[in-house]
Amino acid sequence: MAEYDTYILTEFSELKEDEEILGVLRDLAPGTRKYRSTYARFKVSKDAAKYPDRLWVRLGRGQLVPTPCSISVIEFVNVIPKGL
Amino acid sequence: MAYKYYKDNRAYIEALLKTGDAIVVNDEVDWDLEMGAIVRRVCEKKSPSPYFKKIKDYPGFEGFGAPIASYRKLAVSLGLDPETPIPAIAKEYLSRTAADKGQKPKILNAKDAPCKEVVWTGDEADLFRLPAPMVHEGDGGRYIGTWHFVVAKDLDTPAINWGMYRQMVFDEKTMVGPVLPFSDMGKMFYNKYAPNNIPMPFATVIGPDPLSAIASCAPAAIPEDEFTSLLMGEPVEVVKCETCDLYVPAHAEIIIEGVIVPNVMIEEAPFGEYTGYRTSPREKRTVYRVTAITMRKNPILPISNMGIPTDEGQLLRSFSLGLEMERMLRDQGIPITGVYMLPESTHHLVVVGVKPAYANIATQIGQLVFGSKLGPWFHLVVVVDDKTDIYSKDELIHNLSTRCHPKNGIIITEQGVGTPLNPYAWPEERKYSRAGKVIFDCLFPPEWPTSMVPIKVSFDNVYPKEIKEKVLSKWNQYGFKD
Ligand SMILES: Cc1cc2nc3c(=O)[nH]c(=O)nc-3n(C[C@H](O)[C@H](O)[C@H](O)COP(=O)(O)O)c2cc1C
Repeated sequence: MAEYDTYILTEFSELKEDEEILGVLRDLAPGTRKYRSTYARFKVSKDAAKYPDRLWVRLGRGQLVPTPCSISVIEFVNVIPKGL
Repeated sequence: MAYKYYKDNRAYIEALLKTGDAIVVNDEVDWDLEMGAIVRRVCEKKSPSPYFKKIKDYPGFEGFGAPIASYRKLAVSLGLDPETPIPAIAKEYLSRTAADKGQKPKILNAKDAPCKEVVWTGDEADLFRLPAPMVHEGDGGRYIGTWHFVVAKDLDTPAINWGMYRQMVFDEKTMVGPVLPFSDMGKMFYNKYAPNNIPMPFATVIGPDPLSAIASCAPAAIPEDEFTSLLMGEPVEVVKCETCDLYVPAHAEIIIEGVIVPNVMIEEAPFGEYTGYRTSPREKRTVYRVTAITMRKNPILPISNMGIPTDEGQLLRSFSLGLEMERMLRDQGIPITGVYMLPESTHHLVVVGVKPAYANIATQIGQLVFGSKLGPWFHLVVVVDDKTDIYSKDELIHNLSTRCHPKNGIIITEQGVGTPLNPYAWPEERKYSRAGKVIFDCLFPPEWPTSMVPIKVSFDNVYPKEIKEKVLSKWNQYGFKD
């Protein structure tokens, strides 16, 4: 099971569940690449068992929501123009 | 003639070890929060700088925390005795930097430049091969650039800029950070490169010598490489980058080269900031793409940990902002006695001493400093008379509480330029860098007749000279131990 976190700028209650979201995920796998960020399309659920991977949510100033969500990553997305 | 100074970060660390302002940490420390926590505590307790010899996961790298987070270290960086009092450090800085022109840098060949001992290009130039620390729990990422500066060149003029703008690692080839529109690099990038969709070459200099670092975060009126030469008393030594035409200090620990991407922003922050809070939220900010990394063998990665006082952001920015203000006010012929910006105010509050020569001189001072290029970074100006010790917090509180008229003495300008980092500001104010500005006029109005002016009741002020001398000479004889 992969483990990510993401930042949302709204309150946790406003997190959109089961809808496709484009956002930044940080990979929490230990090692030198921990906290690597990537844009991705994904769906989340507050039910920690619904989707295959684990997602921790943080609010805009870094506050950690103490209960984990689950996430299904649809695809990773590159937002930087090619060649740069 | 060159002043006494340290050509690189290493010689500076050695000097701090000798004066007791640094210690060696031989235990392995974790880049993931542990180093950050140590450096934070060092800032809060004003402890010596930790020189980390072993970093988890990153053999061959060392670290160095809180490089100039105290006036003692600032004095050492200028080649002065660590005990040098603040006014004397200020005097030295002002006299070294009085000239309006410095010397052009001296260009070294790559073979003579320590920062070229290791060169990584292509896939090798991978940011995760550097021990970027997770500085505070909850930060938006690992920050590789906390004690560093970004070198850039203007698009259509020869102007060079060195500016300390924080940088977060996003992925192996991407960094991101805030480049404020009123900063020198912000003006170059947003006004010239970005509208023409031209990527802007940059070079991040990590672990520079202390004087280049001081220059890069000072509001210098001349290019920072020349400003550095004024602090050193001789040209700074530079070397050409591998993948662009920029020049970087040859003795720095690590150089990251690349381009700033026009018209694409990605998410950065939150991050512990110089105000002592994590204020500016996660937001889309300026993108840096990496083309090469060069470094010294066994590089020492420095960490500045911003938070509650005192960190480098507060100490150095207060120091140089205050002194640049002093220079400007003297140039304008205002009869000031001095300017002191308190690091504890996170460079938001400045005290100006002045001879109260005419009515509303405090307003004039406030308007001049708020209206200058320095203005966005602070919002509180306290003007005190020429008898007040501008460095004394006790005298500041006493002045504010007794001399500042609660109505006439507080002059508020509602629409000034601020920064997105002000913790008290509403989101709209942050978004557009708007801020109110306040002048506290602690001068008794000069139009008051002498008979009406309150007399300050202090040992210095209300006793005849011969009584004071007698009391001072017999002080210990009376039985006092101090
Ligand atoms: C440790 C540290 C970090 C800083 N980070 C930033 C930053 O991320 N963005 C910014 O605009 N200024 C930042 N500053 C302030 C700039 O370094 C400062 O305004 C400097 O004068 C910029 O140069 P400029 O006047 O050439 O723009 C930082 C200063 C310090 C000491």
